Amino acid sequence: MSDMNALSNGLLPHGPLLERLLAGEFICAVSDESAFQRLEDEDTREAIDDYLRPLNRRLASNPDASVYFLAWRQLDDSARDQLSRQLSDTLHSLLPVLEWLQLVQEALGRDSVLSPGDVLKPGELQAKSEDNPSLRERIERLATDSFFGSQSDQLDAQVKQVFKRLKEHGYLLQPHGERQVFLVTGKIDYLLDLVRFIRDEEHLPVDEQGEATQEALL
Amino acid sequence: MSEADTPGLESRLITTGVERLSLLGRHAESLMQGYAHDEVPLDGLSNTALRRLLAARIVWRPDEQSGVKLTPKVRELIAEMVADEARRHVNADVAETLELIRSLVESYRESSHRGDYWQQEQQLLRLRQAVDDMSGRFADAIDSLWQRLNSDFGFVSRLNDKVRENDRAQKQVVRLLDGLALIDFNELIALVGSDGTLRKLLISQLQQQLSEHYTSLREVQHRLIELMARFRHMQSRSRLVAGMAAFLREHPGFVPGNYARRSEVPTLFNRAAPLTAAGSAALDRAQDTATLSALLNDIPAPAHSVQSVSAARPSQSSEGDHVAARQQALKQDVETFYLHVVDKTEPDQPISALEYLHTSELTWNAEIWLFQVIAEFQGLPHSEQRAFHIQQEEGQASPFNEVRLIHDVALSLAV
Repeated sequence: MSDMNALSNGLLPHGPLLERLLAGEFICAVSDESAFQRLEDEDTREAIDDYLRPLNRRLASNPDASVYFLAWRQLDDSARDQLSRQLSDTLHSLLPVLEWLQLVQEALGRDSVLSPGDVLKPGELQAKSEDNPSLRERIERLATDSFFGSQSDQLDAQVKQVFKRLKEHGYLLQPHGERQVFLVTGKIDYLLDLVRFIRDEEHLPVDEQGEATQEALL
Repeated sequence: MSEADTPGLESRLITTGVERLSLLGRHAESLMQGYAHDEVPLDGLSNTALRRLLAARIVWRPDEQSGVKLTPKVRELIAEMVADEARRHVNADVAETLELIRSLVESYRESSHRGDYWQQEQQLLRLRQAVDDMSGRFADAIDSLWQRLNSDFGFVSRLNDKVRENDRAQKQVVRLLDGLALIDFNELIALVGSDGTLRKLLISQLQQQLSEHYTSLREVQHRLIELMARFRHMQSRSRLVAGMAAFLREHPGFVPGNYARRSEVPTLFNRAAPLTAAGSAALDRAQDTATLSALLNDIPAPAHSVQSVSAARPSQSSEGDHVAARQQALKQDVETFYLHVVDKTEPDQPISALEYLHTSELTWNAEIWLFQVIAEFQGLPHSEQRAFHIQQEEGQASPFNEVRLIHDVALSLAV
């Protein structure tokens, strides 16, 4: 058996995974647990990388390796153009998504920012905001932001639209199409890594460690 | 103190103890009110009952103005009994116990020298209790720590409180470990000398218990640090999100550097464009033919439903129908124009399309009319096109470019 055969046979079980990666999806323990486990194996990663070589792509992950995606192997001009456009899209979505994270955290009275695997129900968020005018107003402002793009003035339609967009962008996963229950994916980790990176690169005055300074001010 | 007196004292102690312990049960409700709130409510208590509770030091009055409160010891006892982690105290107090043990060992020795065996027995009993108390306090403290750990500090709800509680627990572990370090077995060995009973109690038994406590404490400490790291991680995520959101709100025009143009693009920003693995049916492999024909057979036949007469409704012209009808009318008017040109049959007398439009009192928009006239000409078969002469009256749109506009079209029969 030739080397090429050995290679492709070895990759046979990873077909669907390769397809998802190539389609631009992020693979994490929530979005595809078994695929993620396989990606944690270095040999598998190498085999996939070899396969991707002629497609000018390679397997990449965030610093914690909690989410995998495909990166360009060689950066030519068109790849750089695509990355620039992507960067500006990401920046455009940054504030709306961060504000949504804060809103959910406050509305549901949670200790911390949403993490991969957390369960979210749009109905719950809606119920919490029905009797809370300020929350209601924040959802409205957020939903009509161009990133979420809701045209409706109804709370339920606004919440639905926000969840729909977050699902499209891979931050949320809906395990059962007909049930309004969503799971937070590892892409949230990726987003926070991006934020951290931008903060460090641009030396932004955004404090992560400063204990209780804000509380003291309050 | 004579032998006869001592058992009498003991029985008096027992009687008082039983009386006072039963006070706890009799006034349990009021006392628990005092535990849960700040003060013990006096409505349910008679004067006598209150006096007794004060005498038993179950409750006390910190000063004249204040109400009646539980004494610290009773509060602690209740906290231990109900495992109330928010109030449970961790207090090993090793130094004091060691003092007690030293003095008890000396008293024990003296009684032994005097041959006072009853007294010696009593000292040994108290010594045992002191050792058990010390070990028990460690065990309780460790139990309390585990309880808090296993509940993720569930007795406080805010993350910041959890961080503080974890910090407090870690300090307690350090104090407990310091307490353990105070126990110097070399000193104890010297203290007990050759006495077998003491040696067993103070060396072998204590050493075994303390080494278990030490292992547990190290484990608790390790787990507390791990949990703290998790809490800190959660805290830092919240701060990062809040901080960045606040920054972006304050600086709406903020644009970071274009990382995609750097010589080394940071991994996080290098996300390759999506690629779809497309596939189509192919017939170049014989073994696939059966599958493909099966697939073909499975494609549902287009449904031509028979329109039953009974289901027929009055026609409703839809938006699309309306547009199609207008288009058809325009086409017909243009055809009439062409026939008009043919009928006139005056060569070299071209008829202006716009003029015809006005004289025929047609309502078409001039531009649409011209477009349709030209389209009609281009739609004619080549042989028929040659029968007509079409002249386009054009003008330059602007002196700055080469765009030309058609102002009119004149049509005549070619002779």
